[in-house]
Amino acid sequence: MEADVLVVGGGIAGCFAAIKASEQGAKVILADKGHVGKSGQTPYANSFMAFNPAWGHKLDDWMDYINKTSEYVNNRYWTEITIRESYARYQDLVSWGVQFQKGEDGQPIRYPVPPGITDVVRFDETSTGNYAHILRKQALKSGVKILDRITIAELLKQDGAIVGAVGFSTDSYDVYVFIAKATVLCVGACGFKPAAYPPIVQLTCDGEAMAYRAGAEILGKEFVDTHSTRMDTPMGIPNMLGRGRDVPEHLKVLVGPGRGKPETNAEGKPIPDRPAGASLYMYTYLEREFEAHAGRAPIYTPTPAGSKEVVGGACLGMSLRKADGIWPADANGASSLPGLYAAGDALGNMQNGAAYALAGSAIAGSAVTGAIAGAAAAKQALRMRRLSVDAQEIARAKQAVLAPIQRKGGFSPRWVTQLLQNTMMPYFISYIKRADRLQAALTLVEFMQEHLVPKLFARDPHELRLAHETKNMVLSAEMRLRSALFRTESRGNHYREDYPRREDPGWLAWTKIREEHGRMRLIKVPIPKEWWPDLSVPYEQRYPFRFPGE
Amino acid sequence: MAIEGIDTIRCNGCGACVHSCPADVIRMDADTKQAVVKYPQDCVVCCWCLVECPRDAIVFTPTKVAPLFTSWG
Repeated sequence: MEADVLVVGGGIAGCFAAIKASEQGAKVILADKGHVGKSGQTPYANSFMAFNPAWGHKLDDWMDYINKTSEYVNNRYWTEITIRESYARYQDLVSWGVQFQKGEDGQPIRYPVPPGITDVVRFDETSTGNYAHILRKQALKSGVKILDRITIAELLKQDGAIVGAVGFSTDSYDVYVFIAKATVLCVGACGFKPAAYPPIVQLTCDGEAMAYRAGAEILGKEFVDTHSTRMDTPMGIPNMLGRGRDVPEHLKVLVGPGRGKPETNAEGKPIPDRPAGASLYMYTYLEREFEAHAGRAPIYTPTPAGSKEVVGGACLGMSLRKADGIWPADANGASSLPGLYAAGDALGNMQNGAAYALAGSAIAGSAVTGAIAGAAAAKQALRMRRLSVDAQEIARAKQAVLAPIQRKGGFSPRWVTQLLQNTMMPYFISYIKRADRLQAALTLVEFMQEHLVPKLFARDPHELRLAHETKNMVLSAEMRLRSALFRTESRGNHYREDYPRREDPGWLAWTKIREEHGRMRLIKVPIPKEWWPDLSVPYEQRYPFRFPGE
Repeated sequence: MAIEGIDTIRCNGCGACVHSCPADVIRMDADTKQAVVKYPQDCVVCCWCLVECPRDAIVFTPTKVAPLFTSWG
């Protein structure tokens, strides 16, 4: 099939990309491994950050807050663009029929985000149902061709540029070849299918994996996500229950009661409040991991139904928002490969730096980058002549896609995924990191890459999807471990037991990954000097949050 | 455990559950024209199918059984 623009992934980023590209006059195909409008993390969002000076919002205040709470390694260009363009994306959503909670004055209700510098609006789904359905409707209205249940597994490359992709249906043995002048990867963040976070079961790092294999640069993956979960209901929080539907009695355990404060360790001592100047977002920093490492787990949260145990690793395999993804080579979300763009959580734009602080900014950021990449992809595509792709390259990609289903035996994707989860899940590998333990895990992951992944076999198209997801998750694990080894300091959500301090100015930098001569190479990219914190400010003031062993 | 099955008396074959499952657990049976749980081991308890089914035909429990971890598989 031919298109001007192929968008992979139909969450909020993919829908914005597809709609904006189509509005420019491009012929757009939007492919999703699930069903657009029900896929990815997008439908689970409750709130949206919309920056509007008419609402009293001040850009400098927002930027100063993010720069500091991000521990200075946010990419300020992307932080600012996200903030500035969030209101226009909010207006797009409103014009498409998305309802937001409104006050009696007819204005959207703004909910302050602690500590009260920023605020968010919240979706009102009482009349519309889940807002993500409206994104699908708008994409169709804009003339986008939507293909559900197609897993894109391999990019097509010709003369150094990306010229499309090859995918397969989970319902048949059909292979789909897409010739596209521009491809936008909107496949979401990464994860190892952790049981505690159902929204990311599809998000297996497909974008970075395909892009890496094609030669694109990838953002380093050292800043882990630190969602934690209640032990009594480790499956299914968050989930879709309670959204516009009464919850059956026997399933009420899946929705609550929610967590409270303060959380306490096994000795009854509370997890301390965050110091002033540090992110107040609950799922940032590694307080619970520090307690567990010191032998002071279980950790408890107070709830109306009594004290409940909580545990980390809920989003195993994921980096904090916008610290996963393809390295942005320009301001349009283009990757380092011509013809390939990325948006949403698949674009590693470091909008939030080393520690996430602003609830609502990730979904808004995905809308913003989706719109930018879609428009840019369309602009490029509309300048190009018709593409023809070498039959040999198509054959190569098809073979890579179908290989697992052609094997009669080998290793099942479910077993390899479980093995990967068990290797990476211990807190002392993924969260409290040290060179020797990281290297130990890396040795096993390298074996998985070399020996198990090439022998993954699938008995049907459903398992073929699992096989590709497993392949991509194992590569993501290698990226994650190498990034953690490479960054010899601690900062925000990256903690090295053997390097417990932030190293300024040496590590006022990002890490970048690319394949060179068949090996994974990491590169340090210093942040612009204008973005440095004031180094004359004492370390403890520059970084209010204390790490063990500093 | 998690999704147990489809209540075939209630199911009207609309396919909303098939579309909504991010893990491709549910399929339409071409013969019965009703939904069927084809890959229950992949259910992640997201509850999309429960929320989308207009006929309350999804049989569901809040527990999930994790597979035994074996030497190979």
